[in-house]
Amino acid sequence: MLELSNIGKHYDVAGHRVAALSGIDLTLTRGSFTTIVGRSGCGKTTLLRILAGLASPDTGEVLSGGPAPRIGVVFQEARLMPWLKVAENIAFGLRKRVDRKTIDERVSAILDLTGLSAFRSAMPAQLSGGMAQRVALARALVMEPDLLLMDEPFAALDAFTRRSMQNELVSLWQARKPTIVFVTHDVEEAVVLGQTVIELSEGRVVGRQTVDIPYPRDPTGVEASLCRRAVLARLLTPATPDRMQTKPD
Amino acid sequence: MPFLMPVRDKIFGVLIAIGGCLTVWWAVSWAGLVSPFLLPPPVKVWRAFVALWSSGELLHHTWASAMRVGIGYGLAVSVAIPLAIVFSASGIVRVVAEPLLEFLRQIPPLALMPLLMLWLGIGEAQKIGIIILACFFPVFLGMRGGIAQADRKLIEVGKVCGLNRWEIIRRIVMPSALPALVVGLRISLGYSWRALVGAELIASSVGLGYLITDAQDLARTDIVLVGILVIGVVGLATDFLLKRLCARLAPWLAGDLEMARA
Ligand SMILES: Nc1ncnc2c1ncn2[C@@H]1O[C@H](COP(=O)(O)OP(=O)(O)O)[C@@H](O)[C@H]1O
Ligand SMILES: [Mg+2]
Repeated sequence: MLELSNIGKHYDVAGHRVAALSGIDLTLTRGSFTTIVGRSGCGKTTLLRILAGLASPDTGEVLSGGPAPRIGVVFQEARLMPWLKVAENIAFGLRKRVDRKTIDERVSAILDLTGLSAFRSAMPAQLSGGMAQRVALARALVMEPDLLLMDEPFAALDAFTRRSMQNELVSLWQARKPTIVFVTHDVEEAVVLGQTVIELSEGRVVGRQTVDIPYPRDPTGVEASLCRRAVLARLLTPATPDRMQTKPD
Repeated sequence: MPFLMPVRDKIFGVLIAIGGCLTVWWAVSWAGLVSPFLLPPPVKVWRAFVALWSSGELLHHTWASAMRVGIGYGLAVSVAIPLAIVFSASGIVRVVAEPLLEFLRQIPPLALMPLLMLWLGIGEAQKIGIIILACFFPVFLGMRGGIAQADRKLIEVGKVCGLNRWEIIRRIVMPSALPALVVGLRISLGYSWRALVGAELIASSVGLGYLITDAQDLARTDIVLVGILVIGVVGLATDFLLKRLCARLAPWLAGDLEMARA
């Protein structure tokens, strides 16, 4: 279980104080699949970076009941090391923790699971965007994370590849049950993937939608369409206009 | 695409270029357009080459020059790379030593020749000193540029994987810096070769530069030309070897290597 309470974060941009996040309260139960959706600039990446430990909040705290979770992150870009082969990229974070033999076993298993076995000796420059993102996912999964953070990982992919990656992600989640936080600006994607959709606008949570549709979901089905409409309606209502404030001297 | 010609076409091009130059050279001297003293015909230069080769003299001078480059280049590289890492890691070192190095960088190595001769004499130490001065900066600056350019996004991957500062430097920053380092290494090799021959022209008793000035004193233009050609060929050969070495050690850099000429 992960508990975020009153998370706030601001940036100073050219003398202005820009609130990226304010008063975020969020509970992530173990093994849940949460999607966070909102227009670009609403603070999704900032929230994910705070969860990943790459940024610290100005206010509030992130509490985990129990030991600190092992975290895996998939960024919007694949971020592979261009000098390492696919298998070495996947093993990148493992090298520190486990012995050679375990690494080989785990990497092989993940290569099979993600359909990358034929590419194990390929260099990143030789991969298509979809394949590269798959390697990035494998690199996160091989760490056997308790918490998998994904920042618009499929946004740069074509519609066909995105569809199949979404399905694969759902199967992986069902098989291993990590807690997943998946950020996207695509309402359809948020509804197809998440058990809960968190709606973010101008740094605040403006709504939550529970999606009670069995997997694999049909994005064009009636229930999914209804959910999508409800989420969109809340995201499109105008939010509070007091976000940008001039710094008092 | 002209940049990706097959090897066979490349060799063909080189042969045409060499053949063309030889023909023009031969035609000019055959027609008597320039005095044979200023530009001896190809055959005469070839004979001089054969004579120098069979007497072992050519190899002797080439070896002497190559050794100096090898030692000087090796020393410069093994100082420049760690120093660049220290500079990039430590703000204090940067603040103190940067102005000094920036000043030194403005001075052409050959301008330091007189001083080096007074300090180090006219032996090997002075030649190697010149080479170190000539090839330190491209490697040093290349490495620093490469470190500065390391992708922050890749460094974040390291942080997420739980790497500490040193591991991030070793496993992400260093490999990221390699392309820029390779450019520096290649530029330096060219510089060191040029600076050495310059030094040998001024004060030396062995080496390709010496071979040329000595031949000039004896009015042997043919030997001067042999010396120039050998310098060019050895320069090309070492550059080629360095390129091959880099291609083997860092195959993902194929594209960057072609930009590294100076
Ligand atoms: N490093 C930064 N410096 C200044 N402003 C930033 C920085 N990162 C994000 N912001 C601002 O914070 C807000 C939220 O950004 P972000 O979390 O990246 O949004 P999203 O991922 O939803 O597009 C935006 O207004 C953005 O301009
Ligand atoms: Mg973002």
